Amino acid sequence: MQCAESLRVQAYFDGELDALDAAVIERHSEACTECRALLADLDHVRGALRQDPSYGCAPPPALRTRILRALDRESPRLGGMRLTSRRPRPFWMGAFSGIGGTSIAAGIAFFVMAAPLTNPVLDEVVSAHVRSLMPDHLIDVVSTDKHTVKPWFAGHTDVSPVVADFDQQGYRLVGGRADYFDHQRTAVVVYQHGSHVINVFSWATDQRGLPKNTTRNGYHLAFWQTGNLVYCAVSDTAWDELLGLARLLRDSSAPDAR
Amino acid sequence: MTYANLSMDDRRHRFEVLVLPHLDAAYRFARWLARSSGDADDVVQEAVLRAFRGFDTLRGPDVKAWLLTIVKNCHLTALKQQQRRGFVPLPEEHDVQDGQAMIATTADPDSTSIRRDEERTLDRLMSALPEEHREVLVLRELEEMDYREIAAVTNVPIGTVMSRLARARAALKARWLKEAEGQPHAVR
Repeated sequence: MQCAESLRVQAYFDGELDALDAAVIERHSEACTECRALLADLDHVRGALRQDPSYGCAPPPALRTRILRALDRESPRLGGMRLTSRRPRPFWMGAFSGIGGTSIAAGIAFFVMAAPLTNPVLDEVVSAHVRSLMPDHLIDVVSTDKHTVKPWFAGHTDVSPVVADFDQQGYRLVGGRADYFDHQRTAVVVYQHGSHVINVFSWATDQRGLPKNTTRNGYHLAFWQTGNLVYCAVSDTAWDELLGLARLLRDSSAPDAR
Repeated sequence: MTYANLSMDDRRHRFEVLVLPHLDAAYRFARWLARSSGDADDVVQEAVLRAFRGFDTLRGPDVKAWLLTIVKNCHLTALKQQQRRGFVPLPEEHDVQDGQAMIATTADPDSTSIRRDEERTLDRLMSALPEEHREVLVLRELEEMDYREIAAVTNVPIGTVMSRLARARAALKARWLKEAEGQPHAVR
């Protein structure tokens, strides 16, 4: 038999009661073991659901693009205006809100409007990043342990990049992946920062001159080099956060390429 | 506030600023409703287009609830169409397995696969719930909406929201305990 107050206990748990009723229910659940157990159960279910990673799934980038294209097609019909002169608004404009977002967007707009350098590697990196965000393309070796990830690269890629966990600083190592571009098997170390994925690509180079940090299709790309190994961290996080990881990795250990 | 008399560019801009930030929530909701990522994609796209066409009907600040209501309606429409065509979706779609087959040689540490099993279990338990239970749970626990907003999205009175939530939570917990008896790893 359920306690008659159970619905009100639930409402209390959900923050739906005013202070007066809340006080009544608090007193009640001190006395009623059934309602105390109910509160514990509610808390348990909520905790489990909120920890479930499939909850945090973001829409695939391709869907966002598809939707914006569809909106483009929709726009002229509604207003009866032709949009020949109007360039489609970049998809990430809508993703930001608030003043911070606006300034980031302005920053990105600056990069986008500046004549893009035609560096094929940049395009390859961005494509590889977007590809990695498709279901189950992200990680080949799933591990938060650098001693698992690093040896894995030895057999699967042509380079041996720095692998470190910066969980303390908010960058959780989640695994590694092999990718192929610039005519070699490159190594990708995957980090998670909040709900964002950061891919750290690394490949060997014999050229001088590192690509400049840049933004492509709404993704930031930060470059650095140790020895003959080029690193590129790619993500849709804020610049500060991406550069934070880049700094940690650059400082973390000596290079050992090839 | 109404956006009817805005110029096209303004209208599109307002839409992107006000509505598109809720695209993630719309997608999550569609994922839990549709249970397959492909269907969720279609539902979300259709919902955003409908939202754009009906942008003038948006009143007040409750943009997220408004958009999720449209997602829900689109989902129901899609469901009806599927039923009319006699199309029966696979019970669970795990694109995952294809990917794993390709990387079968890679080491997958035990701890990780156990954690994955736990995730799967919760997903499976959620999927097994009736839709009306699943949706109130998602809206309340994951989207953190209040009863009034949930009532708006699900189109039922607040009293019904409360009783559905109670039943949904109890059902999820019960299934979970049952699962735990068989599988020691399923619940911490």
